[in-house]
Amino acid sequence: MKTAKPAQSPLEIRDLVKSFRTGFLQSKKVTAVGGLSFSLEEGEIFGLLGPNGAGKTTTLKMITGLIFPDKGEVKIFGHPSAEVKARARIGFLPENPWFYDYLTAREFLRMAGGIFSLRGPALEKRINGLFDQLGIAHAADLPMRKYSKGMLQRAGLAQALINDPDLVIMDEPLSGLDPIGRRELREIILGLKARGKTVLFSSHILSDVEEICDRVAILARGRLREIGSVESLLDMGTNGAELEVGGDPERIGAIADTLALEWVRSMTGGRVIISADADTATVLRAFLDAELPILELKRHRRSLESIFVAQSEKAKKEA
Amino acid sequence: MGPILALASNTYREAIRNKVLYSIGIFALLVILVGNFLTDISLHNDKRVLFDVGIGLLSTFGLILAVFTGTSLIYKEIDRKTIYLILTKPVGRAQFLAGKMLGLTASVYLVLGLMFVLLVGQSLFMGTGAPPQLYKAALLILFEVFIVISITTLFSSFSTPFITGMLTLGIIVIGRLLPDLKQIILTKYQADAMRDLADRLLQVFPQLYLFVPNGHDFNGQYVSLTAEFVTWGYIGWTALYALVYSGIILMISAVIFRRRDLT
Ligand SMILES: Nc1ncnc2c1ncn2[C@@H]1O[C@H](COP(=O)(O)OP(=O)(O)OP(=O)(O)O)[C@@H](O)[C@H]1O
Ligand SMILES: [Mg+2]
Repeated sequence: MKTAKPAQSPLEIRDLVKSFRTGFLQSKKVTAVGGLSFSLEEGEIFGLLGPNGAGKTTTLKMITGLIFPDKGEVKIFGHPSAEVKARARIGFLPENPWFYDYLTAREFLRMAGGIFSLRGPALEKRINGLFDQLGIAHAADLPMRKYSKGMLQRAGLAQALINDPDLVIMDEPLSGLDPIGRRELREIILGLKARGKTVLFSSHILSDVEEICDRVAILARGRLREIGSVESLLDMGTNGAELEVGGDPERIGAIADTLALEWVRSMTGGRVIISADADTATVLRAFLDAELPILELKRHRRSLESIFVAQSEKAKKEA
Repeated sequence: MGPILALASNTYREAIRNKVLYSIGIFALLVILVGNFLTDISLHNDKRVLFDVGIGLLSTFGLILAVFTGTSLIYKEIDRKTIYLILTKPVGRAQFLAGKMLGLTASVYLVLGLMFVLLVGQSLFMGTGAPPQLYKAALLILFEVFIVISITTLFSSFSTPFITGMLTLGIIVIGRLLPDLKQIILTKYQADAMRDLADRLLQVFPQLYLFVPNGHDFNGQYVSLTAEFVTWGYIGWTALYALVYSGIILMISAVIFRRRDLT
């Protein structure tokens, strides 16, 4: 017998590989995921980022048991993902969820509950609660073919949460939602975290990810490029600074060039990137001597977007 | 069992609201209505013919419904990605197939039930009564439909609706004509080994002729439903045959479907 471990990781992925055969007579092989490993800690919000075709959906499908890895393993709360039991404590929202045309959201949720052996008044209460929370109570008894994209997304989330899962997995949950819907979803995700749940989702919308994720992984061409807390990723290599200078951009540029610094034009003049090895005081003095107004000096931070773009391009070059 | 029933009841609900089932059902009801009244005023003003035509229509529409709805049963789930919402919950793939199959069977049975009620009503209206043979024949049709739905489930677990439809139709034709095929083989091949092999091969196909014991199937004789030969014992063992055969087919489907990537 195994002794009970104090904290079982909600999700452990090791050396996951998946390729697809496509083309005439299945002759072409596309590696969608090429050796991916990471694991989640209980109670965290984890963002899976990456450009189109990076392998995010493929990874999530392997986790949820829809497709089978060529190599490697996935464990959900200790159970291999091929086991039915592994799916007892998860909730999954697929990319652009689609439902049965002639069923209402309530009927679908009753079935979803039935799968988890939920029934009776407790199930009805849970369903109504989810509809209220997700703002689709008014459409609960409408056939789902009449739903808008955002409503489908909400119904998809409702069915993912029916069993009060400990690990919620979502593929592009923010797509198709308006700004209000996105804010609501962010709040729902934070609410899940507050209740000790673990959340894993993929996204392209970096501002939202930056705001709510504890950790992120950047995937490109099926491989992990970066992983870590949002803070640590953004702070990496942040010794430099950014200087906003007013006045004639040509003059600003000339001074920046003599100091061998990068610069860009801006609305008010120019923005000079002070690299880590440059002396900030020297740079400031140069502009003050030229009698150009210093508008702002701030610590230079990478944005998630710049990391994302840089990693995507690096992966492309390597391929 | 819980997940299977949850899936079956929603499949049933989805199916009976679908226009395809509706329209085939309504068309079938019309045909039975018109067909039997026409039969009545025809030359053979005979209850035997009324029953045979009615049951023949019931059987034909049962098969049409089974093939039409069964072919897209699994394919549509994958194509529309609704399956992503189901199989990511604690449901086994075999349970999924069983639930879909049972739900569809129930919806086809509903339409057949309505058709049968109409047939009985008509018989009573025309004073011919509704003898037990009529009920027995209807039961046999339900068994056959069950087998056919399991076969569509098998094919649709790995192929497209068109191929599924073609293969299923082929199997229906073979299954109905098995006694004739056997006869042909027996006259053509003299070698025992060959006969044996052919016999084994034919055993694999569903013995669908068992479910339509009227017409020429029995020693080339025209046997009508009104004949008393369909006993309750016969009904019992054909039911068992249908259950066992469908069960085996479902298990094979599950084995094929188990490792399939749902992309
Ligand atoms: N069923 C399939 N057959 C063939 N190739 C596939 C299949 N599914 C995915 N791929 C390929 O695998 C790669 C990864 O696809 P995946 O859908 O996982 O990307 P993604 O990161 O989810 O992209 P997006 O942001 O566009 O949703 C792509 O090159 C894609 O073409
Ligand atoms: Mg995707």
